Amino acid sequence: MHNITLSFRLNGTDYTVETSAEKRMLDVLRNDLGLTGTKEGCGVGECGACTVVLNGEAVTSCLVLAGQMQGADIMTIEGMSETQIGSILQDCFVEGDAIQCGFCTPGFIMSAYALLLKNPHPTREEIREAVAGNLCRCTGYKPIVNAIEQAGLRLSQS
Amino acid sequence: METHSIGVSRERIDARAKATGRAEFGADIRLPGMLYCKGVHTKYAHAKLLSVNTEAAERAPGVVCVVTGKDFPGEKVFGEIFVDQYAMVYDKSRFLGDVIAVVAAETQEQANAAAELVTAEYEELPVLGSPRAAMEAPAEICINADYPDNICGNVHVIKGSVDEGEAEADVVLHSHYKTGFVEHAYIEPESITVIPSRMRPELTVLGSSQAPYNLRMTLHRLLNLPMARITVRPSAIGGSFGGKIESVESIAARAGLIALKTGRPVQYTLTREESILESYKRHPIEFDVTVGASKDGTLKSLRVEAIGDAGAYINMSPPVMYKTATLGPGPYRIAHVDYNATSVLTNNAHTGSMRGFGTPQAILALENTLNELAEKLGMTPLELRRKNLLHNGDVSPCGHKLDFHEVSIASVTEKALAESDYERKYQQYTEENRDPDRRVRRGIGLACSMRGASIGADGNGGDVSRVLIEVEEDASVHVNIGLVEIGQGLRTCQSQMAAEGMGVSFDRVTLGETDTSRSPFTGACIASRGTFLGGGAIYDACEKVKAIIAEGVQKHYKKPVDDIHFENDRVTFADMDISFEEAVHACYHAALTPMAAGTYTVPLLDWDGHVGEPFYTYTYSCNVAEVEVDLDSGVVNVIRMVGCHDMGRAINPTMVEGQIYGGLAMAQGMGLLEDLGHSETTSAFKNLNFEDYLLPTALDVPDCNTALLDEHPDPRSAFGGRSMGEPATEPGAAALLCAVNHALGRAGTIREVPADLDRVFHAANARN
Repeated sequence: MHNITLSFRLNGTDYTVETSAEKRMLDVLRNDLGLTGTKEGCGVGECGACTVVLNGEAVTSCLVLAGQMQGADIMTIEGMSETQIGSILQDCFVEGDAIQCGFCTPGFIMSAYALLLKNPHPTREEIREAVAGNLCRCTGYKPIVNAIEQAGLRLSQS
Repeated sequence: METHSIGVSRERIDARAKATGRAEFGADIRLPGMLYCKGVHTKYAHAKLLSVNTEAAERAPGVVCVVTGKDFPGEKVFGEIFVDQYAMVYDKSRFLGDVIAVVAAETQEQANAAAELVTAEYEELPVLGSPRAAMEAPAEICINADYPDNICGNVHVIKGSVDEGEAEADVVLHSHYKTGFVEHAYIEPESITVIPSRMRPELTVLGSSQAPYNLRMTLHRLLNLPMARITVRPSAIGGSFGGKIESVESIAARAGLIALKTGRPVQYTLTREESILESYKRHPIEFDVTVGASKDGTLKSLRVEAIGDAGAYINMSPPVMYKTATLGPGPYRIAHVDYNATSVLTNNAHTGSMRGFGTPQAILALENTLNELAEKLGMTPLELRRKNLLHNGDVSPCGHKLDFHEVSIASVTEKALAESDYERKYQQYTEENRDPDRRVRRGIGLACSMRGASIGADGNGGDVSRVLIEVEEDASVHVNIGLVEIGQGLRTCQSQMAAEGMGVSFDRVTLGETDTSRSPFTGACIASRGTFLGGGAIYDACEKVKAIIAEGVQKHYKKPVDDIHFENDRVTFADMDISFEEAVHACYHAALTPMAAGTYTVPLLDWDGHVGEPFYTYTYSCNVAEVEVDLDSGVVNVIRMVGCHDMGRAINPTMVEGQIYGGLAMAQGMGLLEDLGHSETTSAFKNLNFEDYLLPTALDVPDCNTALLDEHPDPRSAFGGRSMGEPATEPGAAALLCAVNHALGRAGTIREVPADLDRVFHAANARN
């Protein structure tokens, strides 16, 4: 096991971290940096609980090797309150009852953030496609789609 | 009665923390010096365990200790009702999720690597991979010596005489339905952290526990600690649905053992594969159904033989069979009922509580059988139901005279039908499907159910909830209740009921984090009992606390308080109108303590084991499902589902709708998709992660699903409400299978779920 030094931008702040090359991005976030808002639900990229935004794209961080963080611009749930899109999404998730157990919530918000970055006024169909890689066992998805749609509307008003 | 805090869609009290990633789930806990664990699973589902060799693992880098089942200082088995589950096996393995040793190391990676070094010697025993195999096995081959025939539970509902009913019937119809294992699939895998006291043998347990008092009992039993030295404080829990009880107790017992041995905090988190391997499932049940009716569709008799697969441990099987047998007959007037539900031990994954608890399977069997009957009688499914649905004052299929609340199943059903335009679509699709060239067909199905609130007569006299309410000096209200938040919104709902009960504003109430050392024993948040039983205890505590405050007010103001009234943060009595704060100050000034434990017990039910009052009260539900079936591919698209429920009063209507949307999606998984890939030869599951065990995604679940409420406040519930967790999902799979069979042109074409691609494709081809 050899160590590597990684420099990246995370939630708007520059970081340099020394870590094991074998680690996944998810482990660097949760264990090296203590950012536990990003969750692990399956470890195989199917549940989406570990979704973060890497260079503007939603990715499942359990499938990304630590080395791929080098030079990247990364956003996680911890950085969302500081962004306009993220804070609107958080408000809409809370107000729209899109959160039940909340374990999948960070992943959904990150997928929605990546969507709204590129497409501020998505249709419901586009929203459903954007979160199709995120599993939720509690809400039946509709309140989540409502919340993201509402966030898009608020963005256009702001 | 005017209400202030209930019937209001309050924002969830924990939503903000969850939306920002701040909420702490079990695996998020970080403590200095913490150890990490890895379990070693048995190689064979059924084998004598001759030896477990841990020496190599003990010498591996970073390993602090390795424990086996022999190391538990107390008893070796646990269980809430039937004490037969092993947190670690040491004599023999009973299913593939059994753990033979656990390695604890400085890092998770070291624990994982060392676990590979544990070896064992086994003597294989015959694998009993199905209830049939287990019932036919010779007596010397059994899972549990106390149950030589492998039968571990039976509930037999008998009302009237089915022989007589069948003799009176013009039509008697037989059918056979079958359901598979279903995984709870909470998105958070189980995680437990145990922190030992530095002062004395004492443990604090954090993490994902749906039933903290059960967990405390198990640690007390296996680790020989007094309950007063075990504190369970569940973290934020990432879904449970009945699933984070017994298998989490196993994990906590292993971690607790290591914490006591090492004096260090211990975290034990399962991977998804381990979670699916170790945890219990929804019971697969096979049903032989015989229903009798007169020509006009009046139901005369229902006879059901149900065989449930209990798996390797009894777990909750007998109580699950209780609900299968008592709620399986549905919300219909049936004079003669014989419902015999039996659970059988096998070497499969054990089965236990999962949202619905033995009813989604039974409702599926009954509702689809009723459609077969309707077809035979030349009626529509709806005509048959309208003829037989219960009304006020009717006697339920189990013998319960329903004269104490609004029996709203007919109104609930009509509301669901109207919303889904059922009658028109049923006609239209029936017509369309007569065209043999139509390869993509549509179908619509409905299913009705009644849900008994809480445990019912199966736990007669022992169904109790408790709460501690204390009003602090600043007049803030501190509520400590041991029922846990698992995402259903329980704690927001309990806060609303406490505010209503105390006559104070919602913001004045703080619900303490669940902590067994601060909240009195209250049983588990199971069986749709949280709102109903918790509400009863909260009401009782509020009345007691208000009486104490009244006494203080009387002493302080020297005025009569016979007519004292607490509402909206004001307290009125005699000619006075004071603020709640002033009343509380008066109470403290009078040296009184405004604190009380509230208790609620479900009244004794008249149940003789076969007939009578199986539950104290009921929730009524109807689901309508509309599907599109491609005969050439077997693909089923769900067009829409509508769920309508009467849960008494909705304490928080938006959260009730949330339960319904989630329940519909879970039913869709059970009805159409979810399959663990079970082998009856090896008892193994092929599908241990979400790339193979398919859950409905946002693209599968219709965006136009609709949740409807049909509220009739229940005089048998303190705040008029009944719990909604289970009713929300129980009729959905039934409605979907009815719809698929409607599309396929004949009721009962498919009699097994999941009605997945293969099953639908083959059924479509067989019918051609």
